[in-house]
Amino acid sequence: MRPDPAARRRHWQETGDVLLVYRETIGRPPRLGDAPGAALAAGPQRALYLVVDGEGRVTAFNGHVDLGTGIRTALAQIVAEELDVPLADVTMDLGSTATAPDQGGTIASETIQIAAVPLRQAAATARRHLVEAASRRLNRGIAELVVASGTVRVAAEPDLGIPYGDLVRGARTELTLDPDAPVKPVADYGIVGRPVPRVDIPAKATGAWTYVHDVRVPGMVHGRVVRPPVPGVDSALGGRLAAIDDASVAHIPGLVAVVVIGDFVGVVAEREENAAEAARCLSVTWRPWAGLPDLNRPEAALRDNPATARRLLDRGDVERALAHAQERLDRTYVWPYQMHGSIGPSCAVAEFRDGTLVVWSGTQNPHVLQSDLALLLDMPEERIAIERHEAAGCYGRNCADDVAADAALLARAVGRPVRVQLTREQEHAWEPKGAAQVMDVRGGLDAEGGPAAYDFETRYPSNGAPTLALILTGKVASQPAVYPMGDRTAVPPYAFGHARVTVHDMPPIARASWLRGVSALPNTFAHESYIDELASAAGVDPIAYRLRYLPDARAADLVRAVAERAAWVPHTRPGTHGGSGDILYGRGFAYAVYVHGPFPGKAAAWAAWVADVAVNRVTGEVAVTRVVVGQDSGLMINPDGVRHQIHGNVIQSTSRVLKESVGFDATGVTSREWGSYPILAFPQVPDIDVLMVPRPNDPPLGAGESASVPSAAAITNALFDATGIRFRDLPLTAEAVRAALNPPRIAGPDAPTRRRRGFLAGLFGAGAGALALSLTLLPWRPAYPSIERPDPAAYSAATIAQGRLVAAAGACLVCHAGPDGRSFAGGRGLETPFGTVYASNITPDAAAGIGAWSYPAFARAMREGVSRDGHHLYPAHPYPSFSGIGERDLQALYAYLMAQRPVANPVPETRLRPPFGIRPLMAGWNALFHRPVSFADPARGPDWNRGAYLVEALGHCGACHSPRNALGAERRGEARLAGGFADGWEAPALTGLSRAPLPWTEDDLYAYLRTGRSPRHGSAAGPMAAVVASLAPLPDADIRAMAVYLASLVGEAPSPHPRRAAAVAAPRGSATLFQGACASCHEGGAGGELVPLGLVTAVHSAYPANLIQAVLNGVAAAAERFPNPDPSAPPAAMPAFRDTLTDRQVAEVVAYTRARYAPDAPEWPGLEAAVARVRGSTPHAGW
Amino acid sequence: MQDDRRPIATTARLAASRHVLTVNGRSVAVEAAPGTRLLYVLRNDLALNGPKYGCGLGQCGSCTVLVDGRALRSCAIPLRAAIGRRITTLEGLAQGDRLHPVQDAFIAENAAQCGYCLNGMIMTTVALLSANPDPSEAEIRSALQGNLCRCGTHVEILRAVRAAAARMRSRGDAA
Repeated sequence: MRPDPAARRRHWQETGDVLLVYRETIGRPPRLGDAPGAALAAGPQRALYLVVDGEGRVTAFNGHVDLGTGIRTALAQIVAEELDVPLADVTMDLGSTATAPDQGGTIASETIQIAAVPLRQAAATARRHLVEAASRRLNRGIAELVVASGTVRVAAEPDLGIPYGDLVRGARTELTLDPDAPVKPVADYGIVGRPVPRVDIPAKATGAWTYVHDVRVPGMVHGRVVRPPVPGVDSALGGRLAAIDDASVAHIPGLVAVVVIGDFVGVVAEREENAAEAARCLSVTWRPWAGLPDLNRPEAALRDNPATARRLLDRGDVERALAHAQERLDRTYVWPYQMHGSIGPSCAVAEFRDGTLVVWSGTQNPHVLQSDLALLLDMPEERIAIERHEAAGCYGRNCADDVAADAALLARAVGRPVRVQLTREQEHAWEPKGAAQVMDVRGGLDAEGGPAAYDFETRYPSNGAPTLALILTGKVASQPAVYPMGDRTAVPPYAFGHARVTVHDMPPIARASWLRGVSALPNTFAHESYIDELASAAGVDPIAYRLRYLPDARAADLVRAVAERAAWVPHTRPGTHGGSGDILYGRGFAYAVYVHGPFPGKAAAWAAWVADVAVNRVTGEVAVTRVVVGQDSGLMINPDGVRHQIHGNVIQSTSRVLKESVGFDATGVTSREWGSYPILAFPQVPDIDVLMVPRPNDPPLGAGESASVPSAAAITNALFDATGIRFRDLPLTAEAVRAALNPPRIAGPDAPTRRRRGFLAGLFGAGAGALALSLTLLPWRPAYPSIERPDPAAYSAATIAQGRLVAAAGACLVCHAGPDGRSFAGGRGLETPFGTVYASNITPDAAAGIGAWSYPAFARAMREGVSRDGHHLYPAHPYPSFSGIGERDLQALYAYLMAQRPVANPVPETRLRPPFGIRPLMAGWNALFHRPVSFADPARGPDWNRGAYLVEALGHCGACHSPRNALGAERRGEARLAGGFADGWEAPALTGLSRAPLPWTEDDLYAYLRTGRSPRHGSAAGPMAAVVASLAPLPDADIRAMAVYLASLVGEAPSPHPRRAAAVAAPRGSATLFQGACASCHEGGAGGELVPLGLVTAVHSAYPANLIQAVLNGVAAAAERFPNPDPSAPPAAMPAFRDTLTDRQVAEVVAYTRARYAPDAPEWPGLEAAVARVRGSTPHAGW
Repeated sequence: MQDDRRPIATTARLAASRHVLTVNGRSVAVEAAPGTRLLYVLRNDLALNGPKYGCGLGQCGSCTVLVDGRALRSCAIPLRAAIGRRITTLEGLAQGDRLHPVQDAFIAENAAQCGYCLNGMIMTTVALLSANPDPSEAEIRSALQGNLCRCGTHVEILRAVRAAAARMRSRGDAA
């Protein structure tokens, strides 16, 4: 940890034995959204740029920060070069407000092109001073001196020299930056222009680097925020909070505070996991909002968005030219909403100390953030320091500033340093998106096949995305401001005689801000697609056509060089690259010079692409197989760094073009993890051939974004070349491409699949009419008198120990667990089709429990379902099974329960839906369905009979695993153990009706019941996990006996699975969602040795319930669920996706899992509704 | 968005207790609830910054650690399940001052931009090369498929993996 910022600033202000270079300017850099004159009003500024200390070491300061692009290294090279010191002697201090100059935000590829200029001048100023000082000391003329490795020497006498440190020591010398100090000629460069290893990577590769996520401050606590349920729609913020229930988090250990300011809600806890749990548990009532237009297909929403037209160019007579065009081509291109997608969700630490605030942040804009915090907290800027640390790459504005403000609010509220980590879901939802964009071109060909006119209009709904805490707390209005940033590269590079360019400035719809290539990437998609369309219509090779109209000689050089490098073969129609089988090949070209900054802007590096694609005409999958990319960046400070940036731009923009589009519903962003917002992964990375034009004598140009800009058009042009179809909407997903290649045929008479009844309704369809039958039967039974609680000492230890095993085999705790999860205090609600049945308190508490029950009363309740007072129990209590329990076991169980600690936990009264709420009706039910269980079979061995007893009577497996009839009674005969439902989980068939793809053997069953896992079938989850845990005290012999008995059932009936033909017409569900959300563990092994999904019974079942449960609520690790876990079971838990995926997304991932891993099983109908039902039910206790 | 339907009996599971783990060859005691994700324990209790929080959903790979030599996601592993297993983080790869050859290769190839995913890339590569010292290009890409990189450093990373494999084979130290 560096010393605190005030101390560092003081150090540079006071220390001796240093040479310092300050820069004096008037005003601060203008900021987007500034009032006119605001920048100048800041008055004279004096900022430190460079220090040489008494050891000759150099510290240089820059207001721009390293966003992962390697500018820390490049800036150090510039300083080292100009001062002639070894690179290792230069340290860069980037973006900390206490020490670094305000140079505006790190945006628009300006660092090397603009922000580095004064740094170089500062180094030149220092060098001149040092050489002059050496000249005096050595008594030699300046012309006689040279500098090498930080030592000024006499050229003719190499032994005579003075190191910089010696020249600096003994005084504190302050210089003012002289913009005219002579700089080194490029020809003399030895460090700049050479490939240099990145200075930060060794520490990053060993875990020694301190990202903002790694900042720890003494006394630090952990915060999480809870955002209103309008994900990513900042205009809907304000007045959303209706109520908050602090009691909902009272159980969180180490909870420090719940902080509420307007719509801002945060929690603070001593430990991070507890802060996370508090944020999940906090019960907040929000006023709902669902006013977002359809942004999945954004064209209409953008056209409807209020806008102001701004004319950027009006050349010739567009309307007249259009009227005389030989052939009109009017086109519309649509760009989707996209994400920055930082791999690390934003994080910050804030601390108030003696009236000052220090914020450790990964911000792009330290000085802007400082102003934001001053406004948020009503503090003067001078009392706020931003300590800038690197974060995950951001490629534009992510949530770095938002989380810094969140941390500041929480730190102020609790008076301690607070670290706030946003979740993946929050970063995805709330990061200001790269805006959708709509580009219209009106144009056509003239009589000679040239461009008749070019009338270009572009719509870009985006701004600077005000820091969320400012809006949430009401400091700034949620009314979105308009930033005129749709004009980047809006003017095409071609010499169209008649051209008009109009940008429609408009406010954001979803929260949006700059993303790499800002509006230039979409604008260029239109320009470069359209010129290709013109070339094709004119019957001219697309590169030759461009060169006819490209006036910029440097651009034309690049275009020719890239065409040559790629061995471009001129062609005038698509399809010349042929194909093989279902695969078609194509090549496309595009070119751009990225013009950034406020219109008319400045040009960064030139870039051009030749993209090769392969497209599967059946599935629609598109692969970019190879990209030849050329770039002219002027002088390259670190050619390796530039090459690296080109690779990064090619891969990231290929990802954006092929895969990326933010999903929305009416409340906001639905893409809240990597499955619903997939990005390019290793297998899809194209081969990249980089051509860097050597231009050492031209000024350095921004290289951080340029190579992205031609991407979209190059790829869609290649797709046209392969297929003959123009794609003017992105991304090029397999679905979109398949739809375009295989337009739907006329619908035949295929009848829609009949909707099956919901799985619960199917099982439990209410048939209350039957109840009328039983009303004549005796409705009430006599009460047993209450007794004093029996003294546990009356029972032998052996009896109580036996009772413990009976309770374990009966898994009593699975239902009767109390709120602490351990005692038998009851209170759990069991959801049944008839209403919620609450498990009773069976501790020996006289009032709340069964302490006043005599053994005969207990035995009657167990065997006949009648309570001590004579009222009937509902058959959620499985007394039909328990009727088979042996007398000694039942007595032992009674003894065991009476020996428990009494818990005075009253249990809610069960109230069922009419007519089931009438308990006396149970008498009739019993008359109809209560048959004592008999299972003994003398013909079978003792193991089998013991197993039958444990399974059928004590274990009451049928209570869950047998289907129930309309009145909730277990079905008998062939339906016995043929599969049922419990607590929202399916209890699969234990007979030959099992859908398990591999038959259950005795060994499988033994392993499953003993460890919770069978490597051939999967592992127990939900209520069954609790059952396995309960069985742990039973001896192996009992588990083996159960396995013997259950294995005999599997053999009883042949498997009559109705299997459908394997061929699936259209893929179901979402492969991309599965790939991004599930595959790394379920296919890639990143979760450990998982049972293959193809073997998991839940995937093959007739009902999707268990798969849905697992996806929504997660599955605890084997070590958490089972007392005797299989040592080969994976250590990982399955994460819960409840707060991450929508019902539809879960349905899509479940449908895909089914289609892929149980391809011959029928499709599950009504999945989305089934997901909603499971989401609405209470997750199984404790699992 | 918030959902108040939470499992009951969470109070007991949030209570902290003492656990002993084996991390980077050393036995360490931590005081935390048994369900605490290993990632939080490594970072907050043991101050190991190598593993990074990226998604908490096992999707991105930033939090990868070696568990008994396998590259697994520490954001999905409860503390209780880590007991008795050999945990290795990025900090534990070096032998004294000598970096692991995979680290050397990543540094030599400049295989990072922001570097946030670097931990996962290195740990996954270490596990891959110990299981398969001579992986094909397709095997490398497949092994790293579940590790996301947003900067587009894939080209340099692939080069580093190939270089590390070659170096380890020539030295014969499939560490």
